[in-house]
Amino acid sequence: MKSAVKKFKGLSDKAIAWIFIAPTLILLLAINIYPLIYAIRMSFTNFYANKIGREVKFVGLKNYKKILGKEEIWEKMQITAHFVCWTLVIQALIGLGLALLLNKKFKGNELLTTLIVLPMMLSPAVVGVFWTYLYNPQVGLFNYVVNFFYDFGIFDMIGSSTLAPWSIVIVDTWMWTPFTMLICLAGLRSIPNYLYEAAEVDRASKWQQFIHITLPSVLPFLLLALLFRGIENFKMFDLVAELTSGGPGSATELASINLKREAFEKWKTGYSSAFAVILFVTIFGFGNVYVKVMNKIKDR
Amino acid sequence: MMDTSRSPSEASGFSRKLAATIIIVYMVVTLIPISWMVATSFKSVDSAISYPPEVFFEPSLEGYVNLFTNRSRQPKDYLDSLPPPETWYEELVRSREMVITGPSKFLPRYSNSLIIGFGATFFSVFLGSLAAYALSRFKVPLKDDLLFFILSTRMFPPIAVAVPIFIMYRKLGLGDTHVGMIILYTVVNLSLSVWLLKGFMDEIPREYEEAAMIDGYSRMQAFFKVVLPQATTGIAATAIFCMIFSWNEYAFAVLLTQFNAQTAPPFIPTIIGEGGLDWPAIGAGTTLFLIPVMIFTVVLRKHLLRGITFGAVRK
Repeated sequence: MKSAVKKFKGLSDKAIAWIFIAPTLILLLAINIYPLIYAIRMSFTNFYANKIGREVKFVGLKNYKKILGKEEIWEKMQITAHFVCWTLVIQALIGLGLALLLNKKFKGNELLTTLIVLPMMLSPAVVGVFWTYLYNPQVGLFNYVVNFFYDFGIFDMIGSSTLAPWSIVIVDTWMWTPFTMLICLAGLRSIPNYLYEAAEVDRASKWQQFIHITLPSVLPFLLLALLFRGIENFKMFDLVAELTSGGPGSATELASINLKREAFEKWKTGYSSAFAVILFVTIFGFGNVYVKVMNKIKDR
Repeated sequence: MMDTSRSPSEASGFSRKLAATIIIVYMVVTLIPISWMVATSFKSVDSAISYPPEVFFEPSLEGYVNLFTNRSRQPKDYLDSLPPPETWYEELVRSREMVITGPSKFLPRYSNSLIIGFGATFFSVFLGSLAAYALSRFKVPLKDDLLFFILSTRMFPPIAVAVPIFIMYRKLGLGDTHVGMIILYTVVNLSLSVWLLKGFMDEIPREYEEAAMIDGYSRMQAFFKVVLPQATTGIAATAIFCMIFSWNEYAFAVLLTQFNAQTAPPFIPTIIGEGGLDWPAIGAGTTLFLIPVMIFTVVLRKHLLRGITFGAVRK
């Protein structure tokens, strides 16, 4: 008995390291990597998950060729790109602006930051369904507020195929601008005061200080925030699924929404797996290039 | 001369006031949708669909009653033949010419969210802190690659792995079960939990556990009795982040659960009244669902930045 305890005590650091890491690694391999490999394997077949008895045939690259040659898929990619680009641009501008304002330490600063941050902690699906109420052209608050001072007319934000792509941009911006803001604020607070003091001695104008000190220091933080948001919005599903569910028609059918329709409504498992792999490779590729560029900017 | 020594953090009185004003205006605008949702939960069904929207209204608990009950409309003479209502909510439903036919599914869905949320949080924090400790203290081969691999699992669109998981779960009998969802959310949270906790543990001086080990503790004992207590704040913050994620998750929940283990987010949008969505009831469900997250956010505010960036920005 005593020797057993002794042995336990003497467990080498190496053994402990592996005992501690193993469960995490095994779970990730089983629930993340195995399904991914499974998906890659299925992407080369004509498998339909709802037709169990049917023979599964290996079809090679057929699914990939079909997807990449399809006009419709490029449309979805364009819709996704529209959503990602506009949300990033708007959130970068407003987020940075808010951070600059919050950095002028005034009373109640902490409380205001916490209140502003609230939207991003909420459940995107629940936010989505609630915004359909706000956007409702008959009874919604949105149109009431827009028309409060001047009669612009009624905007059917979700029902019109020209406005719907903007309706999801607005809600995403409402929800996630605080994210960019918080990260930029951290960047601003990391700038040492002596840089500005030195600039004052050199008689640099406020604008010059902003361009030469503030902006370069915040940029890496802003880029990091945009990386996170870019990845999240490229795979955006929950918010849009409840807000417009891809409609009207397919005006807001982002890549993930389209993927869900193909995989869980039409049950084209093989085909949708190929699409999933393409999406994953795209995110991974873009992400890696972005990180390289980001690191270069940081090192400069 | 006073003027030149000013840095942006000690801006002039006027610019500070202007900044505060703009921030307050933004705060008010950004909180309108949330306040409107809470207000709607206290409206009657008729008041919720009137135009112009009623900013001032007679408060009603109809939304909350509708959220928790199933009701059916009945003819007047049948209602008259019933014994008088026993409770205030029965009375409220009767006044709308309806009777309560039973409890709704909201409570089971809400408790599913709690069970799955707490279960997944416990396991992801427990396993995450073990892995984080090992990665923080020991020489692990390919450490950086391992950490990046753990992080990269977050880049999969959930829908991409949902199909294989759906098939796997069907084979294993884990589809639409609490256990299945707890395992799934644990795994999704692990990347966040490992990254955050590694950051927190890196900040605990090694000398603490080394001193304990000189006093005769084994490495294991030192971990459980010295390091973990030191990391309490970090563990609590990580746990809250995992809880918020599991609480808010929608994609896996809507695809993999239906009857037994469905959580609240896929359920709330389906609350239907007569002739369309029952907005006060949805408002009520949303309010009850969002309150815990709002409290968490206030509790977390010091660690918020760290949590949302996976520890990349520590302030």
